[in-house]
Amino acid sequence: MLIAEDNESDVFLIQDAIETAKLDVALHIVKDGEQAIRFFDQADSDADMPCPALVILDINLPRKHGNAVLQHMRLSRKCGKALVLAVSSSASDRDREEMAKLGANGYFQKPSDYDDFMKLGDIIKGLLGRRNTQ
Amino acid sequence: MTGAGGNTLTDFVAGGDLSNSIFREMMEALPAAIYMTDAQGRLTYFNPAAVNLSGRRPEIGTDKWCVTWKIFLPDGTPLPHDQCPMAVALKGGDVPTGIECIAERPDGTRFWFTPCPAIIRDAAGRIIGGVNLLMDITDRKNAEIEASEQFRAIVETTPECVKMVAPDGTLLFMNAPGLAMVGASSAEAVTGKSVYDLIAPEDRDRFREFNERICKGEKASLEFDILSLNGTRCHMDSHAAPLRHVDGSTVQLAITRNITERKHAERAALLLSAIVACSDDAIISKDLNGVITSWNQSAERMFGYTAAEAVGQPVATLLIPPDRQDEEPKILARLRSGERVDHFETVRRCKDGTLLHISLTVSPVKDAQGVIIGASKIARDITQTRRLHAALIESEARFRQLADTMPQMVWTARPDGYLDYYNDRWYEFTGLSRVAFGDERWETLVHPEDIRQAHESWYAAVDAGKPYNFEYRFLDRHENRWRWFVGRALPVRDTEGKIVKWFGTWTDIDEQKRIEDELRRANQDLEQFAFSASHDLQEPLRTVKIYSELLTKRHADKLDGEALKFIGYLRNGATRMETLVRDLLTYTQVTKVEKCAEVADANEALKTAVANLAGSISETGAQIEADPMPLLPVHSMHLQQLFQNLAGNAIKYRRPDRPPIVHIAAERQDGHWLFTVSDNGIGIDPEYKENIFGLFKRLHTSDEYSGTGIGLAICQRIVDRYHGRIWVESEVGRGSTFRFTLPV
Repeated sequence: MLIAEDNESDVFLIQDAIETAKLDVALHIVKDGEQAIRFFDQADSDADMPCPALVILDINLPRKHGNAVLQHMRLSRKCGKALVLAVSSSASDRDREEMAKLGANGYFQKPSDYDDFMKLGDIIKGLLGRRNTQ
Repeated sequence: MTGAGGNTLTDFVAGGDLSNSIFREMMEALPAAIYMTDAQGRLTYFNPAAVNLSGRRPEIGTDKWCVTWKIFLPDGTPLPHDQCPMAVALKGGDVPTGIECIAERPDGTRFWFTPCPAIIRDAAGRIIGGVNLLMDITDRKNAEIEASEQFRAIVETTPECVKMVAPDGTLLFMNAPGLAMVGASSAEAVTGKSVYDLIAPEDRDRFREFNERICKGEKASLEFDILSLNGTRCHMDSHAAPLRHVDGSTVQLAITRNITERKHAERAALLLSAIVACSDDAIISKDLNGVITSWNQSAERMFGYTAAEAVGQPVATLLIPPDRQDEEPKILARLRSGERVDHFETVRRCKDGTLLHISLTVSPVKDAQGVIIGASKIARDITQTRRLHAALIESEARFRQLADTMPQMVWTARPDGYLDYYNDRWYEFTGLSRVAFGDERWETLVHPEDIRQAHESWYAAVDAGKPYNFEYRFLDRHENRWRWFVGRALPVRDTEGKIVKWFGTWTDIDEQKRIEDELRRANQDLEQFAFSASHDLQEPLRTVKIYSELLTKRHADKLDGEALKFIGYLRNGATRMETLVRDLLTYTQVTKVEKCAEVADANEALKTAVANLAGSISETGAQIEADPMPLLPVHSMHLQQLFQNLAGNAIKYRRPDRPPIVHIAAERQDGHWLFTVSDNGIGIDPEYKENIFGLFKRLHTSDEYSGTGIGLAICQRIVDRYHGRIWVESEVGRGSTFRFTLPV
């Protein structure tokens, strides 16, 4: 699983949610949009590099915006089909709609309550489960 | 001739000696021409009257019946000898009685006669001769001819229509002028046909009755209209008398005159006299000595003299004031030379001595021969007109004075859009020199980017006759830069609604426009700032909140009571900050929502608002009562925010001793909806009732009542957006009533 998130405190909470949901996954973390793009480019050129099953993509990433990352990823030979869960603290419908249009598989608005945040784990589980049944 | 004396006509005819015969004596004495022939027509006897009539002494036994006369039929064709009446009779043919012939004497003179031939037969019935009596009818005939010639001449020379109509309406005869009147190219076109077809339908029955009366022997006259064959209508005046026709019946003989022209002239004369009588102008006629000959009603009204008083008086003594006595001889002199005096403005005196300003038009009147016999004069009272004119000049002067003192540039334009006046301000601003009749130079001073639209918008307003309002830039020659102006103009209409003038201004809005632009930019910046700030502020707040929670969750055992209390403060602070930021975001977004094209159901908006307040409602046992809400052109989200904030406040600021009751109502008023949200809460000190709608204005500490001080500011902003009003009526301890208006 790839996590593209610049905010360390949120990375911690995402990891916490994954753990709480008892998901056994390998995590790779990038801190900005450029790193995320580089990750997909490398995956395309390096046959040994695995492709993430799920990308947790913060929309407001430094350097390259989340939607640019998503657009780039969808063009990747290897990772083009990966699941994407867009996350953001924004309640804006426009952000949500735009990510959906670019092919995000889900959207999670980061809550300001710990228990609510932990629900992310179940959402991730649900997404992966849906992929496995496909 | 035998010498034996015979006594019979047969003997006589056979050539007996008549010398002593009583017949002979008789015949010699008769004034009628008589002759006798033998069976072959040879003359055996003639009397002196025959010689006298024929103008020749024939030879017995040689000349034949006709005595060599040349005989003609009445129409002038020669009659051959063997067909003359006596010859026909001798051959045993029938000779009609009463025929008329013409004979010519050797000297060429002619006479009319009627022959009466008789055949004489012997005892065996053989024709042995004949006797003919020639009656001279020349005098009668000439008289007859003369009479019919006279009739014909009358009929042919009269310009009137002469016609004969049978009792059944058949036209028997019509002369040439008559044919011309009815538009017939020949007599055949109308004669033998019903004359009624020529009569105008509405007069047909009258004419039929008229014809029948005449044919019964009456004399009468009638006026009627005809429709001629070429479609024109003429008015006719007919005088008719009965006439005994050749066939013995009585027919109508009528002489009819076309009086259409006369009728028109009569009508025109009536109209003219009516005009003269009703005219507002005094119409007077006078002779060349200046003596009044006619005086209409307006003249009576205007000058105070009745027609009886005026007619016969000289104009000069009756009307002309002493200081103007020289005018009349001059006018009369001009009239005598055939000149007309037009719109001569002068003063005349009325009966009561008042002086009138009048405008005179005097024209010479000529008789049929073109000789000037007098004058007609039309006098118009222009006292009022002069007064109006003076008032107009004064009002115009006042307008200009007023216009020149105005800070704006003032102008007027003709109905066609041509600017015909500018005030002083314009000339000061442009440095142009004043021209007498206005101009279109204003367009040349408009900014090149605005000139096309400035021109088009102005002429569009002129064409539509609608108020003009348009903004464009003029060159400010003092500062050498473009300045924004708003051009406004209103049409001025006369009583019939026709535009007579445009009244316009140019107002300098440069400063206003600059400030507006700055304000708009500042507002945009502010909104952008508030939006981004509140957006980006949420992120760290969330972190503070969530980690302070995590700290107490996971590390409570390692922290003492004070640390936990501090963490509690930290969380509360973050929560409040979060609410504040969220409300601020709502506040800035009020104006961002696009203009609302559809109507929203306020019932739905209220339902959503109540649902959002469900927590506090159940917590406090609040009762929300609502009347039916209207549909209105306001964004549904805004309605919901209004209800939610006001109802939320009502619940929040409840009295501790009783559960809150909130009543929400809507009432249609003049041009808007009035909404009311009233409660039984703690109320508001009137001192603060203006303050509470300001941003971050709070009357209570957050210990007493939580809140950001943005809710009512949001309400105010929403209502402002729809050009409505919001206010509160309240007394401390007696609840509050919030009211706001929204468009219908």
